[in-house]
Amino acid sequence: MVSPLTVERPPSLLSATIRRSIVVGRIYLLFGIGYLLVFGIVTGLASGPAFGSLITLFLPVFAVVGALGGMMVFTNDRLKGVFEYLIAYGISPRRLFANVLVATLVLVSIVLGVSLTVGLGVYLARGNTISAGLATDLVVYSVPMSYASAAFAATVGMFWTSLSSPRSGMNSPVGLMPIIGIAPSLVTIGGIGAAATVGVSPLPVVICAVAVLAGVVLLMLRQVGRLMPLERLLSPA
Amino acid sequence: MAVGTHGSAGELPRSASGVGISCRSVSAGYLGTTVLRDISFAIDEPAIYVVLGPNGAGKTTLFRTLAGILRPSQGEVRIGGEPVDRQASRNHLHYLSHMDGIPDGLRVREALQFYARVERATSTDVERVLDLLEIRDLGGNYLSQLSAGQKKRVSIARVFLRERAIYLLDEPTSNLDPKLAREIRTLILDLSREKVVLYSSHNLFEAREIGRYVLAIRAGRLALFDRIENLRGSHFVVGVRVLEPSEALAGYAREGDYFLRELSGPDQVPALLRDLESRGVKIREIREMGNPLEDLFT
Repeated sequence: MVSPLTVERPPSLLSATIRRSIVVGRIYLLFGIGYLLVFGIVTGLASGPAFGSLITLFLPVFAVVGALGGMMVFTNDRLKGVFEYLIAYGISPRRLFANVLVATLVLVSIVLGVSLTVGLGVYLARGNTISAGLATDLVVYSVPMSYASAAFAATVGMFWTSLSSPRSGMNSPVGLMPIIGIAPSLVTIGGIGAAATVGVSPLPVVICAVAVLAGVVLLMLRQVGRLMPLERLLSPA
Repeated sequence: MAVGTHGSAGELPRSASGVGISCRSVSAGYLGTTVLRDISFAIDEPAIYVVLGPNGAGKTTLFRTLAGILRPSQGEVRIGGEPVDRQASRNHLHYLSHMDGIPDGLRVREALQFYARVERATSTDVERVLDLLEIRDLGGNYLSQLSAGQKKRVSIARVFLRERAIYLLDEPTSNLDPKLAREIRTLILDLSREKVVLYSSHNLFEAREIGRYVLAIRAGRLALFDRIENLRGSHFVVGVRVLEPSEALAGYAREGDYFLRELSGPDQVPALLRDLESRGVKIREIREMGNPLEDLFT
C-alpha cells in the first residue's frame, strides 16, 4: 500500500553528476591537464617571461577542453532518456542544467589546480619568484576567465543541445564547445589590446568580460524553466 | 472503478492504495504538433492495463503525459486527485520509458544506487533487486559493457526498488529473451494485484496473457477501453493439427502443420471437434490462430 504522508522532495544528484562528468570526460580532463602541464613545465624550465605570458593565455582555453565531461553527461542523458526518468520523479530542468554547470566548474578547478600547482612548482623550483605582474595576471585574468569561459560554453552548449536535433562528432555542440569556449578569451584579449593602445588599464576590461559572461550564464540558467519546454529535454528516439 | 470513453466497465474494486489516474480531455504533443487528441479515462482498479496501438499512434506520448514529463496542451491529468505536476502525485508513480534511461559513467551497482537515491530507496533495496533481476554478477561492470538485454534488466530493476501505487511501463519486455520476459511478466503480474499498471507492448499474445484491460490508441485517440475478455475478433480462425492425413480436411487451407477453419466464435469449436472426429480425423492439437487484438492494429 502506497500513500505518502509527506511529500518527498527529489534529491539534488549533484555529487553523482560531478562524478559521472569526471568518468565520462576523463580523456578530455587528461588532455586539458596534460597540455597545460607541458606548457607549464616547458615554459617553467625556460624561465623568463615566457612562462607568465603563455600560461596566462592558455589556461582558459585548456580549462574549457578539460571540462567537456559535463556537457558529455548532459548530451548522453538527454539522448538516452535519463532526463525523462529524472523529470518524472520531480527533478526540475533547472536543476539538471545547474548540476552540469557546477560539474563543469569542478572540472575546471581540477584542471587549474593540477596544472598551476605543477607549473608554478617547476617555475619556483628553477629559482624564479612569482612577480606581482604574474600573480595579477593569474588572479585577475586567467583563473576567473577559465571559470567564466567554461561556464559560458557549457551553458550555451546545453541550450544548443536541447534546442537542436542530435548530431554526433565534431559537428555536435560537444564537439564545438572548445571553439565556443575560446571566443570569450579572444574577445577579451582583443579588448585588453585595444585598452592598452589608449592607455587604459586591462583590469576593468577583464572584470567587465567576466561579469558579462557570468551574467549571461546566470540569466540563461534562470530562464531554463521558461525558455525550455519539457519536450526539449526528452530523447528524440 | 475503471471508466473508458467507450462505456463503463462496471463497478469494480478500488486499488489497495485508492490512488488512481484520471485523464480528462487530454491533448498533447511536441512543439506545436498534436499527437494525442481528447483522451479521457479514469482508472484505479489494481490490474494490468495494456496500451496497444500501431507505431506512431501515440502510446509513448500517452505514457510521457501521464508521467508528467510532457505537459498537455489541453485537458488535465490527475494522480490520486492531484495534478500530475505536483510532487505529491509524482511520488505515487513509477515510470519506465521505452529507452533504457541508464546514466553513463557508472557501474551496474552504482547505477542502481543512483536510482535508489532518486527513489529514496535503501542500499538493502539495491541488493534485493540485484538478486531479483539476476544481475548481481554484472554489478561491477560498466553499463557500456552490457548487452541490450542486460541493460534492459538493469533498467527494469529500478521499478522494483520501491513500491508505488501506479506503474507506467513503456515496452518493459522489449529486447529480453523469452525466459526473462516471462519472469518479468510474472513479477509485474504479482505487482498488479495491488497496483495500477499501465503496460505498453507490441506483443499481442503477451498482452492477452497478462492484461485485464486494453486501451487501444489509434491516430492519437483512445479507440477502445474495455476488458480484454470482452474483445472478439472480426473473424475467429482455428488451426487443427492431425496425427495422420485425412480426406476430410481436403478443403481446408494450410498454415504449416495446421489446417485452418474460420468460425464465427469459440463456442463453435466443440461442434467442429465432433464433426472432425465423426469423419475419422485423428486430432493431435487444436488452437486459435491469430489474436483478436490484431484487429486493434488494422
